[in-house]
Amino acid sequence: MNGAEAMVKCLEAEGVTKIFGIPGVAIAPFYDALYDAPSIEHILVRQEQAAGHEASGYARVSRKTAVCVTSSGPGATNLITALATAYADSIPIVAITGQVNSALLGRDVFQEADMRGATESFVKYSYLVKNADDIPRIFKEAFYIASTGRKGPVLIDIPCDVQSAELKREFSYPEEVNLRGYKPNTKVNAQQLAKVVTAINKAKKPLICVGGGVILGNGEELVRAFCEKNQIPLVHTMMGMGVLPKAHPLYFGMLGNNGKPYANRAVANSDLLIVVGARIADRAVPKPENLEKQVNIIHIDIDSAEIGKNLGPTIPLVADVRLVFQALLDSDIHLDTSAWLEQLEQIKHSTVDHRKFSDALVNPMTLVQHLSEKMDDDAIYIADVGQNQLWSADNYIMKNGRFLTTGGMGTMGYSIPAAIGAKLVDPSRQVVAVCGDGDFQMSMFELGTIAVNRIPVKILVMRNTYLGLVREHQEKKYHKRYSGVELHKYPHYDKLAEAYDMDYFYADSNETLDGELDRFLACPGACIMVCEIDSANNTN
Amino acid sequence: MKGIFSVLVENKDGVLSGISGLFARRGYNIDSLAVGETERKDVSSMTIVSTGDQRTIDQIEKHLNKKVDVIKVRRLDEPRCVELETMLIKVSYSQTNRSSLIEICSVMGAKIRHVSPKNMVILITDEPDTINEFIELVRSFGILELQRTGVIAMSKG
Ligand SMILES: Cc1ncc(C[n+]2csc(CCOP(=O)(O)OP(=O)(O)O)c2C)c(N)n1
Ligand SMILES: [Mg+2]
Repeated sequence: MNGAEAMVKCLEAEGVTKIFGIPGVAIAPFYDALYDAPSIEHILVRQEQAAGHEASGYARVSRKTAVCVTSSGPGATNLITALATAYADSIPIVAITGQVNSALLGRDVFQEADMRGATESFVKYSYLVKNADDIPRIFKEAFYIASTGRKGPVLIDIPCDVQSAELKREFSYPEEVNLRGYKPNTKVNAQQLAKVVTAINKAKKPLICVGGGVILGNGEELVRAFCEKNQIPLVHTMMGMGVLPKAHPLYFGMLGNNGKPYANRAVANSDLLIVVGARIADRAVPKPENLEKQVNIIHIDIDSAEIGKNLGPTIPLVADVRLVFQALLDSDIHLDTSAWLEQLEQIKHSTVDHRKFSDALVNPMTLVQHLSEKMDDDAIYIADVGQNQLWSADNYIMKNGRFLTTGGMGTMGYSIPAAIGAKLVDPSRQVVAVCGDGDFQMSMFELGTIAVNRIPVKILVMRNTYLGLVREHQEKKYHKRYSGVELHKYPHYDKLAEAYDMDYFYADSNETLDGELDRFLACPGACIMVCEIDSANNTN
Repeated sequence: MKGIFSVLVENKDGVLSGISGLFARRGYNIDSLAVGETERKDVSSMTIVSTGDQRTIDQIEKHLNKKVDVIKVRRLDEPRCVELETMLIKVSYSQTNRSSLIEICSVMGAKIRHVSPKNMVILITDEPDTINEFIELVRSFGILELQRTGVIAMSKG
């Protein structure tokens, strides 16, 4: 057995059934071995960044580690943005990149790129494989590291000659890893738990704030049960969308500048904030140092380095979110939050949202609300980046589906490839990518992948003919000196849809919106819908 | 404040650049960094000295711990650890001040490793503060070259 065959065997042992990539000479032995592996389907993408984002969408929906593959040099460097995006959002991915022959390493030969060095700050860990016999151990470790503790991408850079080399030992996939430097702590420390329980019992106005970590840790149900059992209201960050449906009585909206003003007021009025799996980065809480003066904070996270990074003195609890909330559900907590919930209702109804949207063309708020309301109960909504992302996050009506977006990096062009990955997990689930006209053009090459593989994703483009979010910034900060932000009306989306055998829908008014949305959502195949948005619309 | 970290790491390539990259990326100071082998072939030891506020020093420890190739991180407190550094220093002398330089060396426990007609290479291993003192003592002679290894440290007991 050679290295490439061993790589395939490892993927099979990990239960991998789909991988996303583009071959090249430096990864050719692996692709040759793939030829004989019917259980692994390879999705040929049109640009490597999409392979990474597709793996991300696949990982987030399947809740398993996903795999992408590239060749060396430019193929591998094209992947870096996707790795950085996955790293910022803690998405478990194993990225395999081909490399020039090991004897040539360090000589700047054709298509050599130092991928370990280049990705040092964008991956959780990386390997340069020097010996084919190390392949089983390295793959086992890579999948383990990617999927445990705080999840994230792991890179395996593997020279071409190592892929072709015969293994000296018989192939056997290890049962366990032996990493003395990596032992993520997941267990709940009883002493810290007791402090948390005491703080909760003392609180009159507790509020729970969930971030993406709750979803990555599969903690939604337990957190929801905890909220309901103790009648604790919930707010969330953009990445933490999806623990409570919008209609839930304990749901109080998304935090932050672009969230609900009443959610921010809820935080300011609480006396105990329970932060779970959230980084509390600048977008969610602009001045965390003010927050800690007002309220007591419990900070629950799997990553101890998050404790104290942005938030000040807290009661920290570093453990797996499921174990924490199982323990909290079993703890003696007695709270009466009825007065607090009443106050919050009042806050909710008395907070005026000053944001106004233009009803010329399609109102973006109406668009997101109607779209998400009409989508299937368990549908997946993938928001791209820009004004459209903020409109999506703010107005999305959560039912029992998923809301996916890139919160950490804000990488334009994420939604279309992520939608492809998401759709491939479960073709029966409705998947809609919602993007701006700038975003679309950063990933429109993937229409090729969609067409060839007949992947019935839906793409909704909010066309405001601008890089809207940057335009908004220039309007407010630079006295409307619009510089390099105009996209005009290109491309002709109808022709593009036709070119890729996709159906096409279009709305340029609130009146025609609903009917077109219905047809768009009912369409069985891949389709594009364009909604014209007045470029005068801002996010706040 | 000062943070002294004694860090055991996997002895493989890329580990040192990973650690120094962590400091550079997150804007942490490295006052000194000393790396060497340990009694185990596959384990290296690093002593890293940094300065920053309490929060920064805590963050450094956590981020070091997060590194897969970091086996163990120990934070050393100054009074409860042995902290030593070695310096080579080339000092010029003349016939008139030669004996006073030799005297300073002998009082401070420094060794003269090489003597040429106009300068001496002196070796001293001691606590960083003592080394600083020594530098001040010989400064007026004329320092031609100076090299410090960075601190290595070990907890007492
Ligand atoms: C890859 C990448 N490049 C640049 C940016 C900076 N940026 C943030 S939003 C934005 C504009 C997005 O335009 P569009 O997709 O049309 O969305 P809109 O804001 O108009 O809704 C840009 C350029 C980014 N986030 N990602
Ligand atoms: Mg736009």
